[in-house]
Amino acid sequence: MGTPLKKKLPKKPLEVTIAGIKFRNPVMTASGTFGYGAEFAPFTDIEKLGAIVVKGLSLYPRQGNPGPRIVETPCGMLNAIGLQNVGVDDFIEKKLPLLKGVRTHVIANIFGETIEDYMEVARKLDGVKGVSALEINISCPNVKKGGIVFGTDPQEAFRVVSAIRKSTSMPLITKLSPNVADIRVMVKAAEDAGTDAISLINTLTGMVIDVEKRRPVLATATGGLSGPAIRPVAVRMVWQAAQVAKVPIIGMGGIMNANDALEFLIAGASAVQVGTASFIDPDAAVKVAVGLEEYSKKHSVSMKDLTGSLKLA
Amino acid sequence: MQSIESKILYNDMLAEGYFRLGLEWKTPRVKAGHFVMLRVSDGMDPLLRRPFGVYKVIGAKGSASKGTGIELLYRVVGRGTSILSAKRPGEVLGILGPLGNGFPSPRKGLKVVMVTGGMGIVPLYMLASQTGGILLFGARTKKERFLLDGFKGPGLKVKTATEDGSMGTKGLVTALLEKELAAGVVVYACGPLGMLKAVSRMCSDAGVRCFVSLERSMACGIGVCLGCAVRSVNHDGKENRNYKMVCSDGPVFDGEDIDWELL
Ligand SMILES: Cc1cc2nc3c(=O)[nH]c(=O)nc-3n(C[C@H](O)[C@H](O)[C@H](O)COP(=O)(O)OP(=O)(O)OC[C@H]3O[C@@H](n4cnc5c(N)ncnc54)[C@H](O)[C@@H]3O)c2cc1C
Ligand SMILES: Cc1cc2nc3c(=O)[nH]c(=O)nc-3n(C[C@H](O)[C@H](O)[C@H](O)COP(=O)(O)O)c2cc1C
Ligand code: FES
Repeated sequence: MGTPLKKKLPKKPLEVTIAGIKFRNPVMTASGTFGYGAEFAPFTDIEKLGAIVVKGLSLYPRQGNPGPRIVETPCGMLNAIGLQNVGVDDFIEKKLPLLKGVRTHVIANIFGETIEDYMEVARKLDGVKGVSALEINISCPNVKKGGIVFGTDPQEAFRVVSAIRKSTSMPLITKLSPNVADIRVMVKAAEDAGTDAISLINTLTGMVIDVEKRRPVLATATGGLSGPAIRPVAVRMVWQAAQVAKVPIIGMGGIMNANDALEFLIAGASAVQVGTASFIDPDAAVKVAVGLEEYSKKHSVSMKDLTGSLKLA
Repeated sequence: MQSIESKILYNDMLAEGYFRLGLEWKTPRVKAGHFVMLRVSDGMDPLLRRPFGVYKVIGAKGSASKGTGIELLYRVVGRGTSILSAKRPGEVLGILGPLGNGFPSPRKGLKVVMVTGGMGIVPLYMLASQTGGILLFGARTKKERFLLDGFKGPGLKVKTATEDGSMGTKGLVTALLEKELAAGVVVYACGPLGMLKAVSRMCSDAGVRCFVSLERSMACGIGVCLGCAVRSVNHDGKENRNYKMVCSDGPVFDGEDIDWELL
């Protein structure tokens, strides 16, 4: 027999379905790097995105940390914004209406300092028109548990995601922290709690010291590392997560172009998020989508078939 | 606001470590005090864009802000500015801008006093050319005198203070300001943080309105990363912690709105 016929490309080769939602392409913006979405309208066609993930929302507005909050690092940056945001009520009343009529999905990223906070934010967003899903940021210290981070303890992660699962009927994406020894344990915890998808990675904890002053550059001493510097770590973690995950994975960490996004898809992600790159080029996420379309045509492969297509010797 | 690829028209050394950069940009609609974010390298390191104030609009007729390009003045202080200084005419750079709020126009009848330190002179060129007034120029030595070249404005008077006394009065520029503070004056200042803090306090004590242009490390320049925060004073006293973004709420602030102690 000859070589098998090239598989016919589906009508919409870029479309992906995650948590029951159809996305026109697998490219989303990462929380905290795209504001509340409308800010980017002057620079890029936000309707060409698979989804917009908005800045992390809490029950009440948060002022964030003192400055300096950011510092550049080799091929990356550290941030210690302190989750400054307008609060879930103002988001629903003032920010979400700015995206009215925009034909793309909006995903609300949420966080809290107690399980009750998380539940209350999820409840407030339940059924809100214009929000397609919730992304739960579990990289947050639990004040009631003496500040241990929800996202680094599988039991705490399970508890918070289960509680949110009971507070809302919306599709849930659990966003995992990379600051753990074994990501697979965290994937299992989130799945057992009923998450519909997993996203990773959030930032890696880092630090920069000013040697003249012998002080940390950031006011909070440590911060979250993002950008191309973290990409190989992120690809590795997505690959490891994909070995055990039953739910779809959304991969991110240092994606600057379509080639980088392809690494994540091949490693096992069904979609990707573009973060820090949007600061350098506000059109970066749309360019990634365009690049994926070119790859899809050139290799006659759909995004769905690309997911997890890694060949191991 | 636009994100464009712009051709370098010129990138000339003015003095050791100081450059004048002309960038092609057809309709920049720039106002005095605006800034731009420049992508100095296509690579991943350095990663972030660098903020620079707009010195002037080139090819503009009269005081209209439309022209054929913009001119920036920069000092080489690190890797980004050093890469920039090696760029040649014809090469292309990404510009995001114009960004920020710019200086508010002085109310009619007020006497304008501008206070600058070092490169802080950059955003005041356009203001001075429109308003005239008094420019208090602070520098370390007379070697920085070239920064004043071409400075003009209706009835503009320049007074200089140098730290080593090699030009003008010896000492800090704030000593010159002391003599100018009076009713009917409005102050505009840009320079090192210590200078701005002193200027703001002096103006506050004298009951003079003062606008300062601040600098902070920036990642996005458009108010979304929330990285360039400065602590501000809430005049209704309700919230004791309140941040403003230098890139999108500023870079120009009323000196009274900044919490200078906790900045
Ligand atoms: C709104 C705004 C307008 C500006 N306008 C001008 C201008 O017109 N002309 C000009 O020459 N510069 C201007 N700057 C400063 C300029 O952005 C920095 O000098 C530049 O980013 C340094 O980049 P670098 O890679 O060369 O230095 P880096 O390698 O990043 O840093 C080298 C040294 O410079 C210091 N530095 C870095 N960023 C700043 C900063 N923002 N302010 C002060 N020190 C800094 C660092 O702490 C370090 O000590 C402006 C900054 C802002 C925020
Ligand atoms: C300035 C900044 C703010 C961020 N804020 C949030 C946030 O509010 N919630 C969240 O889940 N992740 C936040 N992140 C993490 C990003 O969404 C993303 O997980 C991370 O930056 C890795 O992707 P990147 O390398 O493409 O930026 C933030 C990242 C940056 C750089
Ligand atoms: S630089 Fe990003 S908010 Fe100001």
